[in-house]
Amino acid sequence: MSLLDALPTPRLGRGKHPNVVLVSLSVTMLAAVWGLDAVSVAANRIVQATGVSAMDAIGWPGVLLASLLIIAVGGLAYQPSRTNYWAALGVVVLILALMPFGLMVAGHFLIDPELPQARLGIGAGYWVLLFILMLCLIELRLKLALRRFWPVVILSSIGLVWWLCASLWLSDLALIQEFKARDRQFIQAALEHILLVSVAVSISIVVGTLLALLMRRFVKLQKSAFALLNFLQTIPSLALFGLLLAPLAWLAANVPILAQLGVSGIGNTPALIALVAYSLLPMVRNTYIALEEVSPDTLEAASAMGMRASQRFWQVRLPLALPIMLEGVRITTVQAIGLTAVAALIGAGGLGTFIFQGLGQAAMDMVLLGALPILILALVVDAGLGALAEVLRPGGVR
Amino acid sequence: MIELSQVTKRFGDETAVNAIDLKIAKGKFCALVGTSGCGKSTTLRMINRLIERSDGDIILDGQAIEAYDPVKLRRRIGYVIQSTGLFPHWTVARNIGLVPRLLKWSAEDIQARVKELMELLGLPVEEFAHKYPHQLSGGQAQRVGVARALAADPDILLMDEPFGALDPITRIKLQDELASLQARLHKTVVFVTHDMDEALKLADHLVVMRDGLIVQQGTPLALLQHPKDPFVESLLGGLERGLKQAALTRVKDHMSSMGPTLPSQYRIPADFSLRQALSMMLRDHTDRLAVVDQHDVPIGELSLRKIVKEAQLEKGSMREA
Repeated sequence: MSLLDALPTPRLGRGKHPNVVLVSLSVTMLAAVWGLDAVSVAANRIVQATGVSAMDAIGWPGVLLASLLIIAVGGLAYQPSRTNYWAALGVVVLILALMPFGLMVAGHFLIDPELPQARLGIGAGYWVLLFILMLCLIELRLKLALRRFWPVVILSSIGLVWWLCASLWLSDLALIQEFKARDRQFIQAALEHILLVSVAVSISIVVGTLLALLMRRFVKLQKSAFALLNFLQTIPSLALFGLLLAPLAWLAANVPILAQLGVSGIGNTPALIALVAYSLLPMVRNTYIALEEVSPDTLEAASAMGMRASQRFWQVRLPLALPIMLEGVRITTVQAIGLTAVAALIGAGGLGTFIFQGLGQAAMDMVLLGALPILILALVVDAGLGALAEVLRPGGVR
Repeated sequence: MIELSQVTKRFGDETAVNAIDLKIAKGKFCALVGTSGCGKSTTLRMINRLIERSDGDIILDGQAIEAYDPVKLRRRIGYVIQSTGLFPHWTVARNIGLVPRLLKWSAEDIQARVKELMELLGLPVEEFAHKYPHQLSGGQAQRVGVARALAADPDILLMDEPFGALDPITRIKLQDELASLQARLHKTVVFVTHDMDEALKLADHLVVMRDGLIVQQGTPLALLQHPKDPFVESLLGGLERGLKQAALTRVKDHMSSMGPTLPSQYRIPADFSLRQALSMMLRDHTDRLAVVDQHDVPIGELSLRKIVKEAQLEKGSMREA
């Protein structure tokens, strides 16, 4: 038992000190609602959009409601207790669920139905509010000591509300218009993105685990392998794509079988190779450390009880290492989701296509159409795998 | 029956255990005592082949231990360590059932055995079967450790400082429980400890080790009466040796029949230790105690003067011999 276990842990509800984090977050949210543009309006997708304040977008009743809800969060956090934290969580979820309706109201007020090209953009105030609400959720989860499973549930139900609003009533929104103009492309790009990430991560799980096992068996391999993987990690992603271009093109030209398999200097192949190369370090490092860190006493006990080497590996070492290995998969996957966006530059497809097309056309809404789903994908994977790792620690072993 | 002859273990140039001879009879409790690094744990681990020895022979039930498959050998030897070595991802019940499961017992047999052991070690099944090791106190975890070691009913039990990490009160409680378990089960136990009191309390056979050698071995009483050298004497507590020895003898072995005087008003049960009797005399400022049986009926008398005289006589007879 360490000294830390002996120290008294701060208990909820005992301290009457206000929760400074939540109070300042709620003040910032108020400032964002009152001071920043909530939305923007443009006559079509090319012209500069003009910002609109919250007061003009949703009228004074809307602003009043928003302000009251935000003040409620701050007020509840001013006198923290378990009940008040739960109430604050409820209010934060309510605000998140009401936000798309704010956009609907704004669209109704601001968009002239006579102008079919007119569109509603999401403004700085709106983004800031969204971001800070997420921070509030994190803080509340920590204070209430909720398991990772709960935010997943909360966020997916809020996501459902957003999805319903977006598909039924938010046709004025620029993001939705961009989506409608190329919905098939979008779905295909999203699938490509997910496919590329899954294949790359699957390969790196297999290769990474094998490599980690080899490194445990042959200690000499360990140093050189880690040096190589570290080196790979330092190459900028664009440079790696460039470096792969020439040799792969040469291979495709000179080895017909590879060309038939679809290998070429640009496209999926170099993207996959680069993704796997980047994924290997976190994968191998976590797997190796996870397997090595299992307590020697536990392993000795396993031998002393008469477990064979294979039983010891499969029943003791691996299950105890699994949560940390999964952490490696989580880091790898989140990283690969982001990197795949860059892979669009060498024609690998995926959601990055919209980002680069949008940048080329100076259409920020199109950039968002690519960037937002990537962000959401990364968050979903992060939360999902995090929750899975938690489930795999039986009895809450840490 | 475990027999070690000329057993040696070298790690590189270091000799951890140097040509020791040791016989542990079936059903006996043998304690290996010594300062850290004296080779006592190494000796223990050579018996279940967690460490392979460099030289010498270890015979188990008449057969050299090489004749056994190490895995099968370990399944018939219970093993308990200080840090418990419980599997943190398994419940208490699953931890205890490990060896029977390795031996492919049927599920019902395992369940019945786990239940039996948990009751034997004072762990209520409903309360503890589904707990994980990190939810247990140190004493509870070590009970599970002992239960796991006993699961397949091995004849031999190896224990490496099993109570070393526990607080004094829990340690003494578990020592008492182990003593009463041993009185019922009669396992052949090899017990490593650096706590001489623990060894004196539990062991039938005491082995003092130093620098990989056995300095002296014998019954606890024999060692207390005739320590071979100043090292053994200091391990046995130096000046406190007399009290430790007194702790190993019963009041009834020293009492005399009741004299003509009135029995003392201070009473002590006959199966208490002499040490407890001396302590009582000091506390109550008396040099005489009335010895009583379990029904509190006086059956004899214990006098300080007589105890001292007996000790003098013993010493004298020793000199003559």
